[in-house]
Amino acid sequence: MATDTLKSTTGASGATGGLRRLLLDNGALTALIVLVIAMSALSGDFMTADNLLNVGVQAAVTAILAFGVTFVIVSAGIDLSVGSVAALSATVLAWSATSQGVPVALAVVLAIATGIACGLVNGFLISYGKLPPFIATLAMLSVGRGLSLVISQGSPIAFPGSVSHLGDTLGGWLPVPVLVMVLMGLVTAFVLGRTYIGRSMYAIGGNEEAARLSGLRVKRQKLAIYAFSGLFAAAAGIVLAARLSSAQPQAAQGYELDAIAAVVIGGASLAGGTGKASGTLIGALILAVLRNGLNLLSVSAFWQQVVIGVVIALAVLLDTVRRKAGATPVTAGASGDGRGRQAATYVLAAVVAAAVVGAMSFLHSGSSAAKDQKIGLALSTLNNPFFVQIRAGAQEEAKKLGVDLTVTDAQNDASQQANQLQNFTSEGLGTIIVNAVDSDAVTPAAKAVNKSGIPLVAVDRAVNNADTAALVASDNVTGGRLAAKSLADRLGGRGTIVVLQGQAGASASRERGAGFTAGLKAYPGIKVVAEQPADWDRTKGLDVMTNLLQAHPDIDGVFAENDEMALGAIKALGSKAGKSVAVIGFDGTADGLSAVKAGTLYASVAQQPTELGRIAVQNALKVAEGKKVTKSVMVPVKVVTKENVAGFSG
Amino acid sequence: MSNADELLRIEGIRKTFPGVVALDGVDFDLRRGEVHVLLGENGAGKSTLIKMLSGAHTPDAGRILVGGEEVRIHGAQDSERLGIATIYQEFNLVPDLTIAENIFLGRQPRRFGMIDRKTMEAEAEVLLARVGVNVSPRARVRELGIARLQMVEIAKALSLDARVLIMDEPTAVLTSEEVEKLFAIVRKLREDGVGIVFITHHLEEIAALGDRVTVIRDGKSVGQVPAVTPEDELVRLMVGRSIDQQYPRERADAGAALLTVEGLTRDGVFHDVSFQVHAGEVVGIAGLVGAGRTEVVRAVFGADPYDKGAVKVAGAEVRRGDVNAAMAAGIGLIPEDRKGQGLVLDASVEENLGLVTLRSATRAGLVDLKGQREAAARIADQLGVRMAGLWQHVRTLSGGNQQKVVIGKWLLADTKVLILDEPTRGIDVGAKVEIYQLINELTAAGAAVLMISSDLPEVLGMSDRVLVMAQGRIAGELAADEATQDAVMALAVSNPTHQKTETEATRGH
Repeated sequence: MATDTLKSTTGASGATGGLRRLLLDNGALTALIVLVIAMSALSGDFMTADNLLNVGVQAAVTAILAFGVTFVIVSAGIDLSVGSVAALSATVLAWSATSQGVPVALAVVLAIATGIACGLVNGFLISYGKLPPFIATLAMLSVGRGLSLVISQGSPIAFPGSVSHLGDTLGGWLPVPVLVMVLMGLVTAFVLGRTYIGRSMYAIGGNEEAARLSGLRVKRQKLAIYAFSGLFAAAAGIVLAARLSSAQPQAAQGYELDAIAAVVIGGASLAGGTGKASGTLIGALILAVLRNGLNLLSVSAFWQQVVIGVVIALAVLLDTVRRKAGATPVTAGASGDGRGRQAATYVLAAVVAAAVVGAMSFLHSGSSAAKDQKIGLALSTLNNPFFVQIRAGAQEEAKKLGVDLTVTDAQNDASQQANQLQNFTSEGLGTIIVNAVDSDAVTPAAKAVNKSGIPLVAVDRAVNNADTAALVASDNVTGGRLAAKSLADRLGGRGTIVVLQGQAGASASRERGAGFTAGLKAYPGIKVVAEQPADWDRTKGLDVMTNLLQAHPDIDGVFAENDEMALGAIKALGSKAGKSVAVIGFDGTADGLSAVKAGTLYASVAQQPTELGRIAVQNALKVAEGKKVTKSVMVPVKVVTKENVAGFSG
Repeated sequence: MSNADELLRIEGIRKTFPGVVALDGVDFDLRRGEVHVLLGENGAGKSTLIKMLSGAHTPDAGRILVGGEEVRIHGAQDSERLGIATIYQEFNLVPDLTIAENIFLGRQPRRFGMIDRKTMEAEAEVLLARVGVNVSPRARVRELGIARLQMVEIAKALSLDARVLIMDEPTAVLTSEEVEKLFAIVRKLREDGVGIVFITHHLEEIAALGDRVTVIRDGKSVGQVPAVTPEDELVRLMVGRSIDQQYPRERADAGAALLTVEGLTRDGVFHDVSFQVHAGEVVGIAGLVGAGRTEVVRAVFGADPYDKGAVKVAGAEVRRGDVNAAMAAGIGLIPEDRKGQGLVLDASVEENLGLVTLRSATRAGLVDLKGQREAAARIADQLGVRMAGLWQHVRTLSGGNQQKVVIGKWLLADTKVLILDEPTRGIDVGAKVEIYQLINELTAAGAAVLMISSDLPEVLGMSDRVLVMAQGRIAGELAADEATQDAVMALAVSNPTHQKTETEATRGH
């Protein structure tokens, strides 16, 4: 309304004035436009219909989550649980339809009901339990994630085919997730603008006590508000899982923060009382455009995170400046002051644009030199030395062969990896090397790559149900078996041991664990007294081991499914490590090997990650050049102990 | 012009906000050792004027001279440097810091980079003695009452060696005894040569304290008169017309009892409160602050629970602790804290006016936005809300206009029993009379009005009956013709608990 009135005062300046007004009133929209212009200037691949649809698909899940969170934030609350609830709802759908034989339609209803139920619990705790929203939803974040792991027993579950169509396209070009996003956005705008509950949200967010004393049933409304958020989270979870054709218990981790960021970038205040569906959509699009553009520009995975953070801050800053400018009249006798602030807005927008353009051209300058072949490497994570070594090997080989190599980091998020693969296909690469976050979840994205005609090489982890020209991997199951044998031999076939598992549900953890269990069958004298996950992480390995030692102070051995956790366990064991307790790790990372040298780590089942990276690039180049390659290249694993460590390097 | 005693001079100040000209040609001057009262209706521009002096706003045109030199004040630091200190209605104190820390906030005396608590507290003690407050400088500000908070603010201003002290309605929240204390301190500051800009709506305070009066109306200074000017004349200057009657109560015929409260009790807060309000009647509730008046009406409205007793509207009992039940029965509450409880400050006039009727304007979950807007436009027009448009955020309205919006939302809901808790606090004379006239219209239409007020002339002038509360009980009831200030005060300070044998009640106090 304010817009209308102000517009009428500047009406004389006509259409351009109206446009200027629109942009000034909508800092986020300005930021989005600036970003789009910057991206199209920098990358010829950005402004294509296909790629823009990709951006839409990649924004969809965040946007749908953010629409739900918009309700909560407008009413001055916060919902941290949406990511977990999304994963839980998707898991419930897949589990009931796939493993329990529930009809798919009913399973969808069940999934939606799960989301709503989680929201109601949040709302109940907040309204009637008087818990701060931050705490109530933080608790739900943990409960939701835990329940989805419990239901799925840690493994991804295949999504029923009929629901998976939600991840496909309509008529061969219109992606269904985009459609769902638009639909949910319209619903959000309608609820916020026209309905009783929507108008109540603004009143409650603006002044809860005044709303209560005006007869609004604040407690009941809050139940409904959080239920809405749960409902939208369920929808987002279903879309996410449909894209991956698989419900991942670990999906959508950290998405709640993206959703909150999208809402705030869109102009809502965390203090409540303001916020719009259109703003939230723009916020989600800004995030998606950024990620997509940074992929297209081959910006280093680490710098991407820096750039995203900076752009989020700048987008909100732009909006704040815009508001200040808007607060000064353009009406009668507007002095230099008002215009000065408007000018400030433009200047800031220009600075943002310049910063984005400058940073990106700087950051991807390394790859701008023209080379014959372009190869993309989609890594599952760079948060672990093993994968960093894969990258190192790949980069070394690429340099040697004169290949232009682009590396992306999916941060262990299957959905982000799907986005990155999608972005690779817009770039006209010779070959794509994929190190799948999850062998099943990568399938739909891999199929899309197949369709685009770009050959695919898998490294370290297989890609199920899609064509790969080659798989370059070390054998995890064999490795697990080898670990069991060497540990048992060291203990003389007798003793008690504990197992530190990788992230629940990760395929490497399952395979290594399976190999280890199988290997131990030959040694009935060895007893596994505890198996606990420590998420591949050194700190968690330390914590979990410390806890286990309280319960089992007299263990003789530890098997950690990677070196990082083994090193954490060694910290926890202190002087016992390598003396009364034998620790065996996996991967053969540099840190792990030095611990082997030092004697604290008895052995590490060494993969040769550098070798994996190197061979993957060699094969990728061959494939790109149309040469024949072996379908499956097994890079040998070997047990590295103090005796042979000297001659070994990853 | 070159008067050596002149501390401050303002010439032809102009300031505009979106759609509003807040100030348009204001002249003002302040001498050493005088109390210069700034008088004007709410929205006349007093607050904007003092914000120019404290650096919160900068003028569009005009000059500000301090000690004969033209200055530009761009922020709190500038005004502090010029020796100008402002005490706002809302205090700028940090509740969980001590008094000494608050006084020296940001300027704590330091030794070796650490805060020198000893020096700071000793200096604070001297300042507190100067303003006549006998509290330890180590006490936390949270523990202080409003009067003492104000004294701490004054002490803070003194610590800055302020030569100009601006006080924005300092007496609005004080009891009469506290007001006397404040006056004594202000007089002492005047003797010390401080120039004081004093804003008040209480005309009787002008003669008691002031030296000169500048009247502002619609953003212009319309006159400068000595403080001994008769009140009628001041009112005429302020509202631009003479107000014949300050309390234009027109008595309607009292009908049947609409609101009946029987034996309402919340342990330790109020006890055995019973009264009736008839259709067409205004019942005033007088009493000291803390007598339990607000607590009782909030319980009647269902905003807070009670332990015993009953509330009936037209004979039907209303469910306890349920705002919606009270509303359904036709009760409405204009709360004491307008900004905190009455309004959604960052929402528009339209949205605020539509809050109470939001539910009834909803069909199948959808709000009839067009109907809401029409109703809001109609009531805003009827109440004469001064605004740039229905879209204006209520935060930017003046106090009187904000109160009209709060009342308006209940008028839209066809309220039968309207409870007004301090309806005219911080509102100027002109707007007050408009609100009294609204009350007349309501009772003429057969509504019942229950009004709490700490302003005795208002209670006496507007009520058909006066209930006096003391220590959580009804100490007595006075008919309009027997209600005098003395009679009310006598009841207000009485101890009504002695009639009861309940020990619990006395323990609560």
